Amino acid sequence: MSLTETRLLFDVPNGRLVFAAGALDAWAEHLSWCYELMGVKRGATLAVQDFGSSPLSFLGSSLLMPGLARGVAERLDGRFICLDASPERVTLTPAVLEQVAVDALVVRADVTALLSAEMGKKARNGSRTLHPRTIVAFNDEDPPPVRVGATPWRFLLHVPSSLLMAPECRECGRFHLRAGVYRLDGDEVSNLLHAGATTWHLPAGWSSVPGRCALGLDDPRISPAAWTQDG
Amino acid sequence: MPETSHAQDWFEEIERWPSARLRSWQLDRLREVVAHARANVSFYRSLWSKAGLRESGLDSFDDFARLPIITKQDLLKARGGWANPCDGPVGFSTRGTSGEPLLLWLGATEEEIYIAPTMRGFRWAGFAPGMTALLMSPVWHRLAACETHAIARLGGDCAFFWGSLGPDNMDSFLRTLTSVRPRFVTTTAPFLLALVRRAAHDDLRLAEAFRGVESIVAVGLPLTPRMREFLRARLQVGDVFERSGTQEGAALDDCRLHATPHIHEDVCYLEVVDADGAPVAAGERGRLVVTKLAAAGSIFVRYDTGDIAAFATGECECGCTFRRLKIYGRPESSVMVGERMITAYDVRLCVEENPALLGRNVLLIRDRSGASEVLTVAIEGGECDGDDTADRLRSRLGVARARIVWLGGLRINWGFRQVIDGREIGISNG
Repeated sequence: MSLTETRLLFDVPNGRLVFAAGALDAWAEHLSWCYELMGVKRGATLAVQDFGSSPLSFLGSSLLMPGLARGVAERLDGRFICLDASPERVTLTPAVLEQVAVDALVVRADVTALLSAEMGKKARNGSRTLHPRTIVAFNDEDPPPVRVGATPWRFLLHVPSSLLMAPECRECGRFHLRAGVYRLDGDEVSNLLHAGATTWHLPAGWSSVPGRCALGLDDPRISPAAWTQDG
Repeated sequence: MPETSHAQDWFEEIERWPSARLRSWQLDRLREVVAHARANVSFYRSLWSKAGLRESGLDSFDDFARLPIITKQDLLKARGGWANPCDGPVGFSTRGTSGEPLLLWLGATEEEIYIAPTMRGFRWAGFAPGMTALLMSPVWHRLAACETHAIARLGGDCAFFWGSLGPDNMDSFLRTLTSVRPRFVTTTAPFLLALVRRAAHDDLRLAEAFRGVESIVAVGLPLTPRMREFLRARLQVGDVFERSGTQEGAALDDCRLHATPHIHEDVCYLEVVDADGAPVAAGERGRLVVTKLAAAGSIFVRYDTGDIAAFATGECECGCTFRRLKIYGRPESSVMVGERMITAYDVRLCVEENPALLGRNVLLIRDRSGASEVLTVAIEGGECDGDDTADRLRSRLGVARARIVWLGGLRINWGFRQVIDGREIGISNG
């Protein structure tokens, strides 16, 4: 078996993603596109608090996966900090953020409460931790994001079993389903590039958004009810 | 690594080099690393300049040993003077068991250097082309990131379960284990022990879950010989191998003889020193000092990891000439009893002499004052030959008094923490 024949299997909630080694680059390119659509700039330092079998983690750099020629770090000409999402590691994140200027902190929605509490503790102890812009990665099993008060900088709709990564656009504030990667048909979102991905259905309260956005003229866009732009 | 199309052959050859040849080769690498550090890392330039060290090359290991030993606190204080964006695109943090975590960087050149010893360790553990390996998360540790590349280059498939290596993710691990049916598994020893305990409690058939697994490579806890055999028997796998290392560059693996892990001496130079920084003889314990033999990534030159370690005496019969070293723990996984530092490993060795106590979680209780005349050990489950065990602890460890607290039904997660304050479980210390 040669390197190019190696299979990579990632178990994710409600499914399994299987890749031939060379198949990861298309998804690293897509995830980089997502970050740029959200407003992450080239050269950025990203810190990602997620599990290793999440695409948000394993697509982070070619150093993390065999056969991934260019991960997100290489494509954005930036840096990628691995922050596992286990509770033990979440408690360390504020101290890590003291040591490096992070441009965007990407966090699984289900650990945001713990992370906020830990950041609060550090702040009360007089820490000089910088609060980076936070991208909350959520899916339909998490509480729906709400755009009120002090909210994260951006949201990323991320459904691993569907290999669905739909960013909240920095321009229109809606979630783009990138043309050529996903197809929206009624309330069904199909993955056009990965045969093993499950079809995702828009959750209650979500709908297609009419009109077009200059940052993705052909992209279908979706949004939860009462979602307002906040940039 | 030499410029050769037979890099793999070279990596297999170097592990059998005579000691003198290996030392000479290591000294050359140390010269490169020191020159690189002096040229590119202002922290080291300043440190060595203040210590009055000349700029010319290192002539001997004695010259190298004159470089000051550094600690995590030194690097945290230096911050940008030590780490810089050129170190590499991927950051990992240490676990912060001794306070603040340290963020360090991995680059492609450094990773390439560390993939080869990972392949070597997996080969020793029986990995063969065509196997599927269930691996630790690549974002969990710098060495785990090398694992996926090593498996791919050895001609295998990589599988990953959802979640992390905590008690919340045991079901997820078992789902992947039983559906993928890997022949090779890498994980942490605390996670395996938590699975064994869970199986006993929930009537889970672990042997069935691990059916077909030929080798497990376990990190995160120094395994006693009895614990290794206990895990092998309970899981009914072919063999269990200890892997150890640090984010700062130490890398070690068990060979098939399990006679203390071998240091991958082609990627790291390890020293064991006493409190004054002087080298200690093989067989004696001291502080582990790491130098990475890679002039790439975050640079560590004579870095005191805080681990307590000892070189093994003699040569291993497996034929590998790399020295062997056991990492026993850290001050955080030890207690002071009188003048003696007792590690959790030492205590487990004694406790496990009673087969009925194998697999029970054993924790040291730290005295509030930081030192005590009494060794207090908490053991899971009901009382079992307590007097005998306490006697053994006293005689083997040379402490005046040993006290055992039986935890009964109280369950404490298997984890990396092996010492607790007695107040956490409602007992008085000392």
